[in-house]
Amino acid sequence: MIMELAGFPYLSAILLNCVMGLLVILFIPREREALVKWISLAFSGIALALSIYVYCAYDRTLGGLQFVEKLLWVEPLGIHYFNGADGFNLPLILLTGIVHFTGVLTMWELRGRVKEFFAFAFTLVLGVFGFFMSMDLFFLFIWFDVSLFPMYPLIAIWGTTRKEYGATKLFLHVLAGSALVLPGIVYLAVASGLHTFDIVALMQPGVLTPGQQKFAFLLFYLGFGILAGVWPFHTWSPVGHVAAPTSVSMIHAGVLMKVGAFGILRVGIFLCPLGWEYWAPVMAVLATIGILYGVFVGLTQVDLKYVVAYSSVSHMGIVGLGLSTVTAEGLNGAVFQMFAHGIMTALLFSSLGYIYDKTHTKLIPDLGGMSRVMPVASGYFIVAALAGMGVPGFASFWAEVTVFISALKVYPALGSLAIFALVLSALYMLRVVQRTFYGQRNERYAHLSDVSFSLGLPRMILVATMVLFGLFPRLMLDLIQTAVIPFMGGLPR
Amino acid sequence: MKWLILGPEIYFLAVAAVFLTLSMMRPNGRRDFSAALFLAGIGVAVTLAAVRLEGSLVYGAYRVDLFSQVFKGLLSMGFFLVVCLCSNLNGIQEARHPEFYLLLATCTLGMMLLVSSLELLTMYVALELTSYSLYGLVPLRSGGGQQMEAGIKYFLAGIATSALMLFGMASLFGATQTTYIGELSLKLPGLLNTPMAFIGLLLTLCGFFFKLALFPFHVWAPSVYQGAANQVTAFVATATKVTAMAMIARLVSMSHGNTSLAHMLIALAIISMTYGNLVALVQKDFKRLLAYSAIAHAGYSLIGILSMNPTGYAAAAFYALAYLATTFICFLVVVKVASDGRDVAIVQLAGLHRRSPLLAMALMVGVFSLGGIPPTIGFTGKFLVFTAAMQKGYFLLVLIAMINVVVSLYYYIQVVRAAFLLEPDEELPRINLSAPATILTAVMVVVIIVGGIFPRYLFQLAQAAVQALP
Repeated sequence: MIMELAGFPYLSAILLNCVMGLLVILFIPREREALVKWISLAFSGIALALSIYVYCAYDRTLGGLQFVEKLLWVEPLGIHYFNGADGFNLPLILLTGIVHFTGVLTMWELRGRVKEFFAFAFTLVLGVFGFFMSMDLFFLFIWFDVSLFPMYPLIAIWGTTRKEYGATKLFLHVLAGSALVLPGIVYLAVASGLHTFDIVALMQPGVLTPGQQKFAFLLFYLGFGILAGVWPFHTWSPVGHVAAPTSVSMIHAGVLMKVGAFGILRVGIFLCPLGWEYWAPVMAVLATIGILYGVFVGLTQVDLKYVVAYSSVSHMGIVGLGLSTVTAEGLNGAVFQMFAHGIMTALLFSSLGYIYDKTHTKLIPDLGGMSRVMPVASGYFIVAALAGMGVPGFASFWAEVTVFISALKVYPALGSLAIFALVLSALYMLRVVQRTFYGQRNERYAHLSDVSFSLGLPRMILVATMVLFGLFPRLMLDLIQTAVIPFMGGLPR
Repeated sequence: MKWLILGPEIYFLAVAAVFLTLSMMRPNGRRDFSAALFLAGIGVAVTLAAVRLEGSLVYGAYRVDLFSQVFKGLLSMGFFLVVCLCSNLNGIQEARHPEFYLLLATCTLGMMLLVSSLELLTMYVALELTSYSLYGLVPLRSGGGQQMEAGIKYFLAGIATSALMLFGMASLFGATQTTYIGELSLKLPGLLNTPMAFIGLLLTLCGFFFKLALFPFHVWAPSVYQGAANQVTAFVATATKVTAMAMIARLVSMSHGNTSLAHMLIALAIISMTYGNLVALVQKDFKRLLAYSAIAHAGYSLIGILSMNPTGYAAAAFYALAYLATTFICFLVVVKVASDGRDVAIVQLAGLHRRSPLLAMALMVGVFSLGGIPPTIGFTGKFLVFTAAMQKGYFLLVLIAMINVVVSLYYYIQVVRAAFLLEPDEELPRINLSAPATILTAVMVVVIIVGGIFPRYLFQLAQAAVQALP
């Protein structure tokens, strides 16, 4: 058995920790709801601590793939259990850790079928972690689907608006995506002639012919693009977001859509760079339409969650635009935007969740003047909305600026349209903030209490993360650079 | 000593004799069940002990090799698992229980003879032993009248395909002047462009397409699945499918990669998958739904065989194992939910997550494994089959199969929805599983998941086994 291990397997430890969390939860009697929550918090805390450790311990001067764990899995087929961390996936591993931890805290007041909820949530997060760190296509696909299937029960059981419709629509859409990805993966492994699923081996220049790359990239772009909310395959996403319970919306918009975008990056762009260059103009057009579409549809929504959901479509368009520039800055910005949008959108859904739990409505006309009733809870939403507009001082500002600068250079017309959309997004976010949180106080909700310190904790963590990376963007950008520069340098031109 | 290599076959003949004797005694359900469970458990041990045996009998008409022994192992496990479900055999009158076990044993014996036979007539006789046992098993259910309808349908369709098969064998003999598979596989590749040999091979395959419920030989499946007793359906859905996959692999491998045969099989696979999945979408009865899903799975498993390369045959063998485990767990849930032996409509699964959380989880794992969602053994089976097809360059076939997988997820998710989301109209009592049943369920769940993420040794075993194919 061939095995390569660079020191203690921190990455597998993260996965194992999620498995342990899942198993421990399964063996707790279902009546002990408080115990389930504490156990979930403990295990998600360990996962967060490990992901922070990996993020900090990564040697930025050295770069490349670190924390490598490689184990031959199925020899005749060339399948390896192969995990590694580089500048592309580390921000997303950290993001997953943060969003899962804060998601558990956000669901602290959940009543009913608590055990099952956290068991499914751990399965989902296990899949997401595995997907981000896997460097073998077979395992990548396994983790991909492991992260998708818990969405159905999570939304259909604990969701709200039209939950079964939303859950089924989401499930069938994202699995249709995976139906394109699987033939693509097998095609690459067989067409390369190497009969391996090892990404590092397959990404060597000259392994795949230009024709194969153009064909396979399309499969991956469409397959993962459905999950990344690429226009016009985004329709499942607003419905699914709105139907999902708060922490699932957080994980879903915050992390799962990044799984799609990261899939395009790790599988599509890494393995088929020529296909990437070939299809880049198409990606750019679809991404720009997505940005504009999200903004315009967001302008007319009356349901707060729909507004946030369409802003996600728009912001994921920015990720797509960054990827489509085929430049180092574009990639840099796209990865940073994945992280920043994940945190920001988690905060939006998290703060919205509290308001919905108390008022039992998320319709903008029914609310109003909320900042007089619950100033702190409103504050969190307003901060997140400001971040969504790209106000300096938050992480998303740097990400969006980087993407837009490179987009303007490569696609001047599309880039200007996207920036125009950003101005409009400020308009619709401000409209929501003004109608929901300012103006006449709604007497119906006057008796409601504001968010307590302990319930506010997850939002505080998210705000702190956004501000930290907003003030010190180099903490993130330098790390992403270590992966982007060698990757772009190695492209055949 | 030479006859020792027939150990498993002799053992199952003895089991059949035991139940023949028991059927002449006063009916006693508990006694029959304990005897069957004990004998089936030893049967698994006997077949596993015989896995490494090799040899040839009756002038090469009957060969014992790793391929046949692996499938015999699967069959004895299938027999054992189905007997495990018989602790409450309420669908069948108590007086008939010994006959039920007797026919189950002879059917298993027939299938064991089948996977070892390397001569067309031996094959035919073994197949008829299997078929006639099943003709007896299907209408054995008590009450109603649908079991009779199912039995007659199965019988008529069965003898019709038997006739086709005989005709095919006669043509093969006419074309090649031999009935031995070994000689056939030498002569056939050159002769397959003649209509006589081609039609002959195709019609010979029909007998096994019928057992696999491949389109257009599927018409019996929905009625039989619904009409037969739940345990009988479990046996029909697991053991006979495994045998059919093995035999189709054996016969197809004789053609040595003939492209027109491959194209024929591709067409059948695509039609079978699409038809099965589309009709399954509107089913209300769970067993009927599983019947249409079986028609679809017949198509998936054929993809591995029609690739006609070593990976493909190994993938098909792996798929057979995966399908056995996965289908069994679904029928385990059916049998436990319908403790009085009735049919189970999908809506009757409502509230299962409260009635028995373990069964609900087992059902979810089983259904997702049927649907091919990782990390289950069902996914790994599909993945291997698709890899084999891709090696032959059948990209479009794989894409169509994947689209079919997505279509099928819709009805699989309806089953999960019923078990986890729907609330029953009236409060139903908890389902109390006995300790052995709990262990069996948990073990099957673990097998499905571990087999899915760690397929290495099973796949290597399958690879070693298919080396015996010509």
